[in-house]
Amino acid sequence: MKLDASLPLEYSTEENSNRILGFWIFLGAEIALFSTLFTVYFVLVNRYASGPSSKELFALAPVLTETFVLLTSSFTIGLAINAMRHNFKKPAMVFMAITLVLGLVFLSVEINEFVTYVHDGATLSTSAFLSSLFVLLGTHGAHVTFGFLWGSMILIQVAREGFTPATANKSFIFSLYWHFLDVVWIFIFSFVYLKGMM
Amino acid sequence: MLKQLFPTRHVVGFLSSLVLTAAALSVVAFDLSFTAQMAILLVTALLQASLQLFLFMHIGENKSKTTLYVNIGYALFVGLVTIFGTLFIFVWGWY
Repeated sequence: MKLDASLPLEYSTEENSNRILGFWIFLGAEIALFSTLFTVYFVLVNRYASGPSSKELFALAPVLTETFVLLTSSFTIGLAINAMRHNFKKPAMVFMAITLVLGLVFLSVEINEFVTYVHDGATLSTSAFLSSLFVLLGTHGAHVTFGFLWGSMILIQVAREGFTPATANKSFIFSLYWHFLDVVWIFIFSFVYLKGMM
Repeated sequence: MLKQLFPTRHVVGFLSSLVLTAAALSVVAFDLSFTAQMAILLVTALLQASLQLFLFMHIGENKSKTTLYVNIGYALFVGLVTIFGTLFIFVWGWY
């Protein structure tokens, strides 16, 4: 294994660099995936049949909480990677743990929101609008759920092994994924929720 | 240590993302025209996304950054064609 000391640990081997490049290519595919889900939503947003319209359904408070929590978690995973580059193991782990907890808070608010919707009779099969909404939000939420599990595994590895070229690389790739989920949420916040409440 | 743990760039980036969120809220807080509302949402969302991409995801520091820009640019192209191509046909009826 050839280590290049001039690069941050997560890029330090050829394999590490290639993994990061490969993950960016995967994120390109994720952009295409979410674009198709946004497309479906934009086409069907006014087909609310006998169910509620977006204006009747959406409430600002939970959405603002979700946005604030996710933006903060994106900040803390950024700080975790920064701490990792200074080789501060403990602070990096604390920031990563905060990120994961915020991910859980986001999920609980979102699940609570879904339960409220279903309780009000707005289910996946009520209207085309609601089908496309639940699929778009659900795909994002599933990504956050997966990210939470994945991040927890990486946190355990970092706790056991410290920052090696392998764990630093995994942590950095996880941070890319987490920031990407934040980017997707920004578009959901703007073009699903805020536009729906206009 | 504290300065190293909370670098100015990250803190400023985070605060800007909160300010941009607040700015986007103006579309529901004030009575604006539809065009103005959509313009605000587009600008704030694009700025937020760039903030994440360049500041937090460090896209520019990668040694194969040209490849990354081409890849993300191509993905965005495919995404935008999917969204607007579909809207042209199904919503705006430009066919």
